[in-house]
Amino acid sequence: MHGSVDDRPHSFDAAPSNSLVAAVARALSALNRIIVIVSAIALILACAVLTYSVMTRSIFHSATYWQDEAAVYLIVGATFMTAAAVQSTRGHIGIEAFVGILSPLANKIRLILVDVASLIFCTFFSWKSWTLAHEAWVDGTVSNSTWGPPLSIPYIMMASGMTLLCVQILLQIAMSLGKARS
Amino acid sequence: MTVLGIGISYGVATLVAMFSGMPIAFALGAVAVIFMAIYMPSASLDTVTQNVYEEMASITLLSIPLFILKGAAIGKSKAGQDLYTALHAWLHKIPGGLGIANVFACALFAAMAGSSPATCSAIGSAGIPEMRKRGYSGGFAAGIIAAGGTLGILLPPSITMILFAVAAEQSLGRLFLAGIGPGFLLVALFAIYAVIRYRQEYARAKIAYESSGEAHAILTQDEYTMSERFSVLPRVLPFVILLTGVMVALYGGYATPSETAGLGGLLALVLIAVIYSVWKPSDLAPILTSTIRESTMLMLIIGMSLLYSYVMSYLTISQSAANAIVAMQLPRWELLAAILGMTVVLGFFLPPVSIILMTAPIILPPLRAAGFDIIWFGVVMTIVMEMGLIHPPVGLNIFVIRNVAPDIPLSEVIWGTLPFVLLMMVAVLLLCFFPGISTYLPDLVMGPASR
Repeated sequence: MHGSVDDRPHSFDAAPSNSLVAAVARALSALNRIIVIVSAIALILACAVLTYSVMTRSIFHSATYWQDEAAVYLIVGATFMTAAAVQSTRGHIGIEAFVGILSPLANKIRLILVDVASLIFCTFFSWKSWTLAHEAWVDGTVSNSTWGPPLSIPYIMMASGMTLLCVQILLQIAMSLGKARS
Repeated sequence: MTVLGIGISYGVATLVAMFSGMPIAFALGAVAVIFMAIYMPSASLDTVTQNVYEEMASITLLSIPLFILKGAAIGKSKAGQDLYTALHAWLHKIPGGLGIANVFACALFAAMAGSSPATCSAIGSAGIPEMRKRGYSGGFAAGIIAAGGTLGILLPPSITMILFAVAAEQSLGRLFLAGIGPGFLLVALFAIYAVIRYRQEYARAKIAYESSGEAHAILTQDEYTMSERFSVLPRVLPFVILLTGVMVALYGGYATPSETAGLGGLLALVLIAVIYSVWKPSDLAPILTSTIRESTMLMLIIGMSLLYSYVMSYLTISQSAANAIVAMQLPRWELLAAILGMTVVLGFFLPPVSIILMTAPIILPPLRAAGFDIIWFGVVMTIVMEMGLIHPPVGLNIFVIRNVAPDIPLSEVIWGTLPFVLLMMVAVLLLCFFPGISTYLPDLVMGPASR
């Protein structure tokens, strides 16, 4: 599939089968809502930072050295942190052209397998992000620029975002299984 | 295993993962990580996340979410409708003027919003009912909007072009400029076709009217007074100023392409706040949520595509494939035709962003060796990928049109878009014979390219 597939009403359609899953689902969806708001503000802030950069350079002829990097951190943070929120509405698109030929039952099984495969990959990615963030934190690694902000900041955001994504996928698997059993 | 063997298994694994319906981002990442684990030193697995971060953390790539924000802000406001009304008031005298107004509105809107589907839904939701009310056939109306929307990834700021510039290590400013001439060419071709098709439908309606007395909406003429024409202008002007302001900032040397993304995003938000009073959190929420959804989805695909092509290049799959293509010593134009054919096939399944990042390391070296201008090729490839947006089996714009005008049968929409696919092929041929259509403007503004 191409580009954006907006406005697909896909949110949690299954009534969670047990109270633990339901509680996690509620907590995660509340957390996701907050993250989306903060990330939206981060994107607007990134716009403002870049605009400020153009202004100071053309009006005051002062050098710009931190603006690009600040914008990078804001946008990287917004991207990874909202990965789970986007997954909660199945917003990470896949090629579903050949899915239609499967029977509904086969399709349910396929979706669970696909989710498990996604979960394994994302877990691996989160684990490696945390080790990366930990190293950057311990060594005090800074970004390779004149401003030199700590690299642990974006790394921690990448790691937390991917971890939330894992929890989100795990939750979706639990719900699919719960629905299959009932 | 030989490079050929690894290459083939890499390709097959990718196909299986993709067609399972796994999200594209995770599928690409998983395949890359599995091949890293098997064929690359174990230390490379430890740096996989650092790799993704370093590839992604460029402000050029990260300007994409800001361009999406700008597009969403303009796309979800009433700007599309106003733009359309104004153009209609000014162009209605020309035969087929309504169709032309739609093509122009799509082009202008696309240049502001930078997204094909957003353009289709914004101009289409006002334009398709209007055209049908005036007796245009459903297929014709749908075709104009679907094709007009594709201008979104050709005219600057185009997300597809940002990725091409990054993947091919070319100047983004130059690439943006190179898209403008072909953009105008397509607008002209679409407009001429609109006039011809209008005359056909008009003549048919007239014959029917004369033989049976059956009136047809296409035969009625509407009038706008001069004051009506001028009264619609003030609502459109700010957006035209936004468009030119951003262009001036970019090409006047005041701002880098990524800074214009920030500038444009902020200006768009200010404009919709001032003109359409969209400023309350509840008004902004749908704009910001859809921005996040689209940009996070896209950026994760981009990040994982970068990892995917890193692995492909580490295992020398891309280099070997490129060398094999060079060694075939295909004649120049056959090489180009083969590559564009492959782009069309990939376009059936993959979004343009993945096509560019996955194929660039393979196809660019042979094209360079054959003496093609890479900027020019970027524009041609973009047009070819645009065709994928309006032809089956995927044709995202077709589905957007189905949402906007559900009463037009799918087959009619597809038949309506087909002539436009042919027109785009004509444009590609014209670009091959007269590359200056694309390269003249960048050479004029930025000086001749060093190649």
